Amino acid sequence: MSDYILELNNITKNFPGVKALDNANFKLKKKSIHALLGENGAGKSTLIKIITGVYNQNEGKLFLNNQEKSFSSPNEAMNAGISVVHQERNLIRRFSVGENLMLTNLPKNNLGLIDYYTVAKESKKWLDIMELDIDPNTIVSDLTVAKMQLCEIAKALSLESKILLLDEPTSSLSPQDTKNLFALLKRLVAEQDVSIVFVSHKLEEVFEICDEVTVLRDGKNACESEQITNLNRQKLVKLMIGRDEQIIKSKKDIDFTDENLLDLQSINTDLGHKNINLNLKKGEILGLYGLVGAGRTELIKCVLGLDKINSGQILLNNKEIKIKSPKDALEKYKIGYISEDRKKEGLILMHDVLSNAGITVWSNLKKILSFLNDSIVYNKVDPYVKQLEVKTPSYQQIVSNLSGGNQQKISVAKWLASGTDILFIDEPTVGIDIKTKSYLHELIIELSLKGTSIILITSDMPEMISLADRIITMKDFKVVGETINNHSYEEMSSSIMRNIHE
Amino acid sequence: MNNKIPNFVKTNQFGLLILVIVFICIFSFSTDGFTSRFNIYALSRVVALDIMIGLAMMVVILTGGLNLSLGALGVSAAMFGGWCMESIGIPISITIILVLAFGSFLGWINGFVTVRTGVHSFIVTLATMSIYFGFMTLLTEAEAFRKLPEAFTDFGSLKLFNKYISPLLIISVLTCFVLYYIFKYTDIGRKLIAAGANPDAAELSGISVDRMFIYCHMLSGFLAALAGIMLTARIGAAIPSMAGHLGFDWLLPAFLAPVLGGTLLSGGKVTVFGTMLGAILVTLINNGLYLIDVGEFWVRFFLGIILLGAVLLDRAREYFTVKNSIVS
Repeated sequence: MSDYILELNNITKNFPGVKALDNANFKLKKKSIHALLGENGAGKSTLIKIITGVYNQNEGKLFLNNQEKSFSSPNEAMNAGISVVHQERNLIRRFSVGENLMLTNLPKNNLGLIDYYTVAKESKKWLDIMELDIDPNTIVSDLTVAKMQLCEIAKALSLESKILLLDEPTSSLSPQDTKNLFALLKRLVAEQDVSIVFVSHKLEEVFEICDEVTVLRDGKNACESEQITNLNRQKLVKLMIGRDEQIIKSKKDIDFTDENLLDLQSINTDLGHKNINLNLKKGEILGLYGLVGAGRTELIKCVLGLDKINSGQILLNNKEIKIKSPKDALEKYKIGYISEDRKKEGLILMHDVLSNAGITVWSNLKKILSFLNDSIVYNKVDPYVKQLEVKTPSYQQIVSNLSGGNQQKISVAKWLASGTDILFIDEPTVGIDIKTKSYLHELIIELSLKGTSIILITSDMPEMISLADRIITMKDFKVVGETINNHSYEEMSSSIMRNIHE
Repeated sequence: MNNKIPNFVKTNQFGLLILVIVFICIFSFSTDGFTSRFNIYALSRVVALDIMIGLAMMVVILTGGLNLSLGALGVSAAMFGGWCMESIGIPISITIILVLAFGSFLGWINGFVTVRTGVHSFIVTLATMSIYFGFMTLLTEAEAFRKLPEAFTDFGSLKLFNKYISPLLIISVLTCFVLYYIFKYTDIGRKLIAAGANPDAAELSGISVDRMFIYCHMLSGFLAALAGIMLTARIGAAIPSMAGHLGFDWLLPAFLAPVLGGTLLSGGKVTVFGTMLGAILVTLINNGLYLIDVGEFWVRFFLGIILLGAVLLDRAREYFTVKNSIVS
């Protein structure tokens, strides 16, 4: 009848108080790579969860190979050939690659014990199809992040999956690994009869590998199975956010001959940083670029006193300081850190908005006998939460119930409220929708214009080039280059990549 | 789901309150003497202690840890108090201050070792339980202090409110209010909860998590010592075996009260009044079953079943927290 392998028609899904999906359609052609796009909260995750059997739709029908289906559990969907590769790794880290691949169906020998020879042989088959040079006996935790990701795909293939859902597969991959992954995906589609649903916030990637695009906005289709060739970036963004995208650039003059505000001199750390020298001027946005594993976040954590600095000096306003803990950094030196991992390190997900936004200011606000009530905290943090346009029904809302973008805004708000002079901002827009992303970019620039000095860590090259005043490149726990940013994407990116690959 | 239901009704405490009322009704009708003045007074003395040890455990569960040394610690502190009063003749008020300080110090040892070694407090307090109890037995030669000042023992058998209520219960309820105030209305209380909920995030937000965890253990020691004093006053003597061997008799109510009350075993949540209700429920069931005369074995059996049920409830709570977070 049709050449669709998967078809969802007029899907509606209600949650208490929210219509997550409203008559949404999604049609996946055989042997195609289909991008599923939308802002956070647009209904992407809900749609994926309906496809994979986590949720059931309230209305609408799901067809697999033209047959109506309804999955009551993820297991059923998996047996029907639908696999998801999540952002979070789903491998058992202490098991070998082979064991992970064969986990659902471990071959046994006559004694009923696991037949490791067959495990290795069978899993090798799938690794070979993917042209992956990994020994099936390798323990997963010894693999690089990129290889773990590829193993997950191999695992999905080993389940004979014909539909692969990839949720932000490149968020922790380097450009090179991303390129390899894309080559592999294209080959899988061509050779293995696989169809792929690709979810990503990086539009460049969508244009690179996808054939068709479905965009969701507020639970409805903003477009349905549109050919990628009919679209460009502007059109796509407009479909996603319902208006044109604003491109921001930092325009300001930093006098690089000024005195240093913060100065790291010949820092060697327990984690393996060698002879790190870098300085930060007042009101500057200093970018720290590097691939995953270059030691940027680790450096910041050493500066904050979480790991040991073995030798070298840290100067603040030309005076040597010793930072013992983040508490020290915040209370004595007015230095704050916005973590890259908002769920684990940035926020206390099980607590409400008010206590998350206020956590950095409690010490300052407390009255006699350490008295502190909600209204004191509220008065302090409310302007910042309002300024950041955090969307929450109330301050008593549990943070884990908010969308990723709003969570990130809260983890930023608490540091704005604390009024720090120096902010370390680590991957501020990972997994954040475009609207919030450009909002956060504006905010970072505005902060620096008001005099806050910022060290920005990001692996997102366009973000780095639009925000930073000066870019330091790190590789293998060393500083390998420093460039003053002229905001020209081509020049800057090639200069940075040269630094990394020299 | 339904916004018309007031929030209070959806809380764990409300469910507990209903259960407490149900059990009171059952035991009032099915047993003789449950509502007698004598029984209610006896109940109030027992429940006072159960609340206190429940709170002592709760403040460590807050960190995601446990304090197995609770009973040994409480008895050690009580024996120290008995020694102060009987052998040295230190005035009662000063003795109480010393005992509480001593309990806090033992709690500090628990906290300090846990934080410094990074070993789970389960193991650390399992060890200190044995150490505290062993030391105490060694120093006291397993002898009780039975000649305590009369003013002290009289307080333990005082009867208030038309002879229905022991003053010990008033101490416990007041302690609940103080703890509630600390967790709700102070900077330090908020920090304790934040550190327990997500130590990494709290540390990076400028909270000294290690110090907060040590404070929790000290508070636990303080409350256990207070429970020890209360038990001494109730019995009228400080006896090494008054909480069973190694203080085991305290462990079951210590777990039951906070877990029934809605404190998450994974940490980061306190429910002071939930713990109080949990303790009341445990005491009621205990007392009711004795009055029905089912025998010691069955009482323990039922309490064990209730603990398992409460732990399942704890799992369910976590599960629903996760479920809720998916819907965004």
